[in-house]
Amino acid sequence: MKGILKSMMVTASTFMRKPVTREYPERHRELPERDRAFPLLLWDQDIDEPFCTGCHACERACPVECMTVIMKDNPNHSSQGGDSKRRKIIDKFYIDYARCMRCNICVEVCNFEAIAMNNTWQGHETSVYDRADLVMDLPQLLAQSKAKQLQEWVAE
Amino acid sequence: MNTEIFGIENVNVWLDALIRVLIIVGFMTVVVMALIYAERKILARFQQRLGPTRTGPVGTLQSIADALKLIGKEDLRPRNADPWTFELAPFLVFIPVFLGFVIVPFVLDWQIRVLELGLLYFVAVSGVNIVGWIMAGWGSDNRYAMIGGMRAAAQGISYELPLVLSLVAVAMIVEVPVGDGELLRGSLNLNEIIAAQHEVPNLVWQPLVMIVFIIAALAELNRTPFDIPVGESEVVGGPFVEYSGIRWSMFFLAEYAALLIMSLIFAAVFLGGWAWPFGIWMDEAPGRWLQAIAVAIKSGAFFFLIIWIRASVPRLRIDQLMSFSWKVLLPLMLAQVLVNGLVLVYDWPEIILTAVGLVGVVALFVIVDRAVRHPRPRPAPVAPLQSEAV
Amino acid sequence: MVVEPAVEFETQDLLINVGPQHPSTHGVFRMVLEIDGEVVRDLVPYIGYLHRGAEKLCENNDFRQGIGYMDRTEYLAAHNAELSYVMAVEKLADIEVPERAQWIRMILCELNRISSHFMFLGAFGVDVGVFGTPFIYAWRERETIIDLFEEISGDRMMYAYFRAGGLAWEVPANFRERVGEVLKSARQGVKDFDGLLTENEIFLARTKNVGIISAEDAIEIGMSGPSLRASGVPLDLRKTEPYLYYDQIDFEVITAEGGDVFDRYWVRMQEILQSISIVEQCLERLEDGPIMPEKMPRMLRLPEGEVYIRTEAPRGEYGIYMVSKGGNKPYRLKVRSACLSNLQALKQMSVGQYVADAIIILGSIDIVLSEVDR
Repeated sequence: MKGILKSMMVTASTFMRKPVTREYPERHRELPERDRAFPLLLWDQDIDEPFCTGCHACERACPVECMTVIMKDNPNHSSQGGDSKRRKIIDKFYIDYARCMRCNICVEVCNFEAIAMNNTWQGHETSVYDRADLVMDLPQLLAQSKAKQLQEWVAE
Repeated sequence: MNTEIFGIENVNVWLDALIRVLIIVGFMTVVVMALIYAERKILARFQQRLGPTRTGPVGTLQSIADALKLIGKEDLRPRNADPWTFELAPFLVFIPVFLGFVIVPFVLDWQIRVLELGLLYFVAVSGVNIVGWIMAGWGSDNRYAMIGGMRAAAQGISYELPLVLSLVAVAMIVEVPVGDGELLRGSLNLNEIIAAQHEVPNLVWQPLVMIVFIIAALAELNRTPFDIPVGESEVVGGPFVEYSGIRWSMFFLAEYAALLIMSLIFAAVFLGGWAWPFGIWMDEAPGRWLQAIAVAIKSGAFFFLIIWIRASVPRLRIDQLMSFSWKVLLPLMLAQVLVNGLVLVYDWPEIILTAVGLVGVVALFVIVDRAVRHPRPRPAPVAPLQSEAV
Repeated sequence: MVVEPAVEFETQDLLINVGPQHPSTHGVFRMVLEIDGEVVRDLVPYIGYLHRGAEKLCENNDFRQGIGYMDRTEYLAAHNAELSYVMAVEKLADIEVPERAQWIRMILCELNRISSHFMFLGAFGVDVGVFGTPFIYAWRERETIIDLFEEISGDRMMYAYFRAGGLAWEVPANFRERVGEVLKSARQGVKDFDGLLTENEIFLARTKNVGIISAEDAIEIGMSGPSLRASGVPLDLRKTEPYLYYDQIDFEVITAEGGDVFDRYWVRMQEILQSISIVEQCLERLEDGPIMPEKMPRMLRLPEGEVYIRTEAPRGEYGIYMVSKGGNKPYRLKVRSACLSNLQALKQMSVGQYVADAIIILGSIDIVLSEVDR
């Protein structure tokens, strides 16, 4: 019975400690800088267009083939009178968050640093009622970066 | 026949009984809901987490929310379940617990009825719920339920004996004043047992008996470490696995009501009930409230102990708990009854009871230690049967 | 013990299905027990509920994309799973990994071993019957370790952090302090578990002399890892075939005699302490430097060949057999899973024991179904 009393002492000492529960969703944990939620596209604030040129590098590198990329000629290019250096720009971009395995390979292969993993809570709270709502299109992917709500971290 | 209640004279006996029963039923329902909530909170604190927090302030309305949910559920019955057995089983588990409340004294002379054979009545009535468990297990037409029911019946019957003998051992030595300043030994009346403890609670005289009562009460309540019938990680739910909604909630409430009764009986028999240490203020108004608070604290301590054990201790296997009861607890209790008898007959000083009790506690520790650390070697298992190819 | 009736009368054995959804099976695992009263006479396991075709999927993915799949074959010890894969690629391509990357790999693998063993302790405590306390303690300790992993790689369970040649990116600047904090809390966690379970009489009564497997039987079945070491066989791949820098580190191989459930539990508990000491020694020897070799091609192409690399995962010998026929994808990838081999011993250990013991024995082998089914 001595061992049982010892177990009860351990439990009693736990009784005295502060509970480790954090009450979600009122209180959120502080996410580290490198947290890797779902991918997002980045917005170039200087020229007011996405960084992404639609080069298909990430689409080819994705292990689960969750992206669809369509590019178009950039109407904002210097040859057309605009101030952008990008000849092509992204037209349509679909990422299926239900398929994405958040492996970060798309970020690593991107030549333009145009895609980054979302390291905020909006990237984690993506519950929907219909699976089709998890296929994100271009405006949804650009929204957070356009609104300057993102401090993205891209590995060197 | 007429009697008085709450200072109102000449009330019909039946009406008086009815009023008391209604008060107790109302009290019991509220307290059971509070106990369920308290258990969840305390168990959570032992595990370094919060319990219910969202329903109501600090989660206090959680029990009511659970009750509403259970009432709203569909009432299922398996197609091949025996209708009478299946549907009567919850009642057979629930009603004996209610009947046990008849003799429990809350404060001085406030209970439903004073019975001269109070403890005998309590033991007899609480044994009926075993039949309810077997009915639930068999009537469910489910193998897991049947296994759980059989285990529960075996366990319940095995631990009746140490429980009864522990109550007998205490009943033997209480001193009852019988007019003329004479003292008579031995009483089954709970009121007299409590009144005899107005100076020293019974746990001083019978420490071993108190420990055995705690163990046997845990087994009767089917609580850890004896909760193998409702082993939550094996036969999930045991005999109650096919019940849903109100029927299941009757089992659940019966478990907590039985827990409440055991706490009150424990407080009455071993810790002195309302009589220690405030027994001298019996008739004045603040005295009653103090007695009620004393009873609440004592039964609350038992309740806390049970939850503490639940959070710390694994569960025993069925053969281990049966052999513990028959081979360890029963001989110890028989020896204790023998010693009590000798002390009564030869009029030895009562301190011998305490000494023998403490020796018995040490003996219990030693027996358990030896059984666990030097187990008898098990015979080699038989070769597995040749099963057909998967 | 086996019960023989005093009077001969005809009885029938009962078939119990411990089904895929059950609070106790660690993942989706099904076993059908044939019981006589309370004694198990026969046991038939059914697996395959979690098969996702990881090996076939890796044939269509190159050597960086496949790392994510390897994570998911053993999600509780993902760093160890990734390690075998990248070591196989490095062996075939003859890449030399810089020192700093190797030390960091060792630290992360040992931390993952600690967190995996904590998970075992938690689930095992629930199997034995304590209501929820060991589980919560285990998750409390795992939270500290997983928070550290999140700061390093970004993900809490599927890290995809190792690459062929080294690591994907550099660890954060406060790595040493964070690892020190994690180790301190892990020590306290082991103390909690030790006090809660190891001396508890009821726990001893449930686990001693239950589910015994002898050393010869274990070797014949092909067990490995702590389950094998608990039967007395001192086989630890970190000592017999040292990989990374295990030959420069001082640690003991924990064995126990008896091979019962208590020994398997005890071996894992002591291994946590050994892993803590290994991590401390690695931290001392860690120095600055590069984490990837200088000239790494963008797309790795391997010469023809085949290789079998095995490492000591927390559950046993986790091996990768890779066949490459040139190109940037493996031609065939086979995962030698430790849990599947360990699971073969379940029937032998359980027959003749009680039903409640069968649940505990399954818990003590410490399987994770994603590795069994891949």
